[in-house]
Amino acid sequence: MPIHEKSLIREENITVQEELVIDGVDVSGHWSTFIEPRVVTDYNEELEEEIAALPGGEYIHRCWQCGSCTNSCTVNAIDPEFNPRFWIYLIRTGMEEELLRDKERIWQCVSCNQCTYACPRDVFPEGVMKATAHWLELKGHTPKSPSMVFDEVFTEQVIATGKIEEGRTLRRFLGRTAQPLMQDWIVEMGKKLLTNLPLKMLTKMGIGSVLAPRTRGWSKAGAAIQEYQDEQQAKHRKALNLDELVAMAEQELTSQEQ
Amino acid sequence: MTKPILVVGAGPAGLAATHALAAVGQPSILVEKEDTLGGAPILSGYARLVPSDEWAKDAIGRMVERSVQSPLVDVREGTRITEFSGQPGNFSAKLSSGDQIEVGSAVLCTGFTHFDSVNKPEWGFGTYEDVVTTTQVEQMISSGKGVRCPSDGRKPSRVAILLCVGSRDRQIGREWCSKICCTVSSNIAMEIREELPDCHVYIYYMDIRTFGLYETKYYWRSQEEFKVKYIKSRIAEVTSDGERLIVKGEDTLVKRPITIPFDMVVHAIGMDPNVDNKNLAEVFGIDLEVNGFIDRGNSYGNMGETSRPGVFVAGAATGPETIDDSISQATAAAMAALAQVHTPDAAAAG
Repeated sequence: MPIHEKSLIREENITVQEELVIDGVDVSGHWSTFIEPRVVTDYNEELEEEIAALPGGEYIHRCWQCGSCTNSCTVNAIDPEFNPRFWIYLIRTGMEEELLRDKERIWQCVSCNQCTYACPRDVFPEGVMKATAHWLELKGHTPKSPSMVFDEVFTEQVIATGKIEEGRTLRRFLGRTAQPLMQDWIVEMGKKLLTNLPLKMLTKMGIGSVLAPRTRGWSKAGAAIQEYQDEQQAKHRKALNLDELVAMAEQELTSQEQ
Repeated sequence: MTKPILVVGAGPAGLAATHALAAVGQPSILVEKEDTLGGAPILSGYARLVPSDEWAKDAIGRMVERSVQSPLVDVREGTRITEFSGQPGNFSAKLSSGDQIEVGSAVLCTGFTHFDSVNKPEWGFGTYEDVVTTTQVEQMISSGKGVRCPSDGRKPSRVAILLCVGSRDRQIGREWCSKICCTVSSNIAMEIREELPDCHVYIYYMDIRTFGLYETKYYWRSQEEFKVKYIKSRIAEVTSDGERLIVKGEDTLVKRPITIPFDMVVHAIGMDPNVDNKNLAEVFGIDLEVNGFIDRGNSYGNMGETSRPGVFVAGAATGPETIDDSISQATAAAMAALAQVHTPDAAAAG
């Protein structure tokens, strides 16, 4: 059965000549409608391995395209273009260009894990979505997501002090994501704090933000976590050939300057 | 006079084994837990068999007749084995009837259990009357009443068959392919189209495995002659709008969501290990493989070996199997069991 599914034809692949006469026959306008063939010119054969090297992507090779993930997906119910099954196919076949067309959609996964429970092959599609969003960031296709920046701020503080000081986390997060400190909800919270005056909590917060307490004897534990994180990040950079790509880009930049 | 051979289970495999033994003059004892002989094709009321197109009650009925009438086959219906001990050539078994029998070797033809669709609640079986299993459709056809919606007896105008129900699914611990459901479903689809030419039949699949010669006879023929439609999609859920069943999923080839009304949804249910396998393994002192089917020993020397010398196995007891192959395996296992009784030294060399 041939597939004539209009939604699979992209706008930019449809050409129509306003004025066209062929052999004396006027075929202007929609009579000259022509669909440009879509041609795959190259596969990135490393793509599946790159995604598999990132946390969550380990089981992508198990997929047999049944579509259970897309069927159960909460985001797909709102946006039919949000299609994990399709992206897993693109990744496994190495169609990087096609995948990048959806880079503004992929990160929208809400991690509800419905797909995880529906998948008959234990692909862990939610993990694959996370790994793919991470891959897009590492390769520079999308900026760091706010949640990623928050995770970084949070982790830095844990590694440094062994504690979380909310005020500081919030200030740094808002600063790094270029958001004003005077958020509406913060103002509201401040008002409520003033009217209710939870003195004990306010004192604690005040002391905390001035003294920046540390967990006693934390330095060794902090160093160990830092070391593990560095190891993991180095592993991911290596899997994605990031250092090589950066070096190539720098070389190009210097040759352009000369 | 050598000791008889014990055959457990009177389905296609067990009936083939006793026939093979009787054909060479070897006495056997056929023990069947049910009161009716014939196994799944008879007990579950199958209609026309694949690939012969013969009615199950004719084809399997003949096999039953043959064994019952043979003076060399001692048939014990409604009976189970409760104890089994001894050495190859010299086993002793206790039956639930209280009898004690002495046998030279044993062939287990204990078959499988149909998957219970209640274990996949999202597909509506047990919730909606018009969601049925392939076994139920077989019964509708074999009873002569025809394919009708159980809720009100109307003729369905749209039927969906869902493949891999209880097969190839890690979520419910059933990773195996049940081997026969694709072919059986194509066959059922053609039978529905034959009886109800105005009824549209859709098959929802992940992969189609109508292996070997079944490809032309079932997969191709169902499309070319019977216009059965195959959609590559694993269905998300079966619900109802109060009047008809609503099937939801994604047509993966065209990347489009599906929400389609149907009169009847058929689950192509798979083959589970026999629910009695744990008990059988304990009584006979044999191993089960990782999924719970009876484990095979050496597959290249003697056919049908289990982990215990002198105890053989054939048919769907070892994993999903067709009727034809169950019969061939049982004939081969009967040969190995016979050798164990007659020429134990030669048999051991296998």
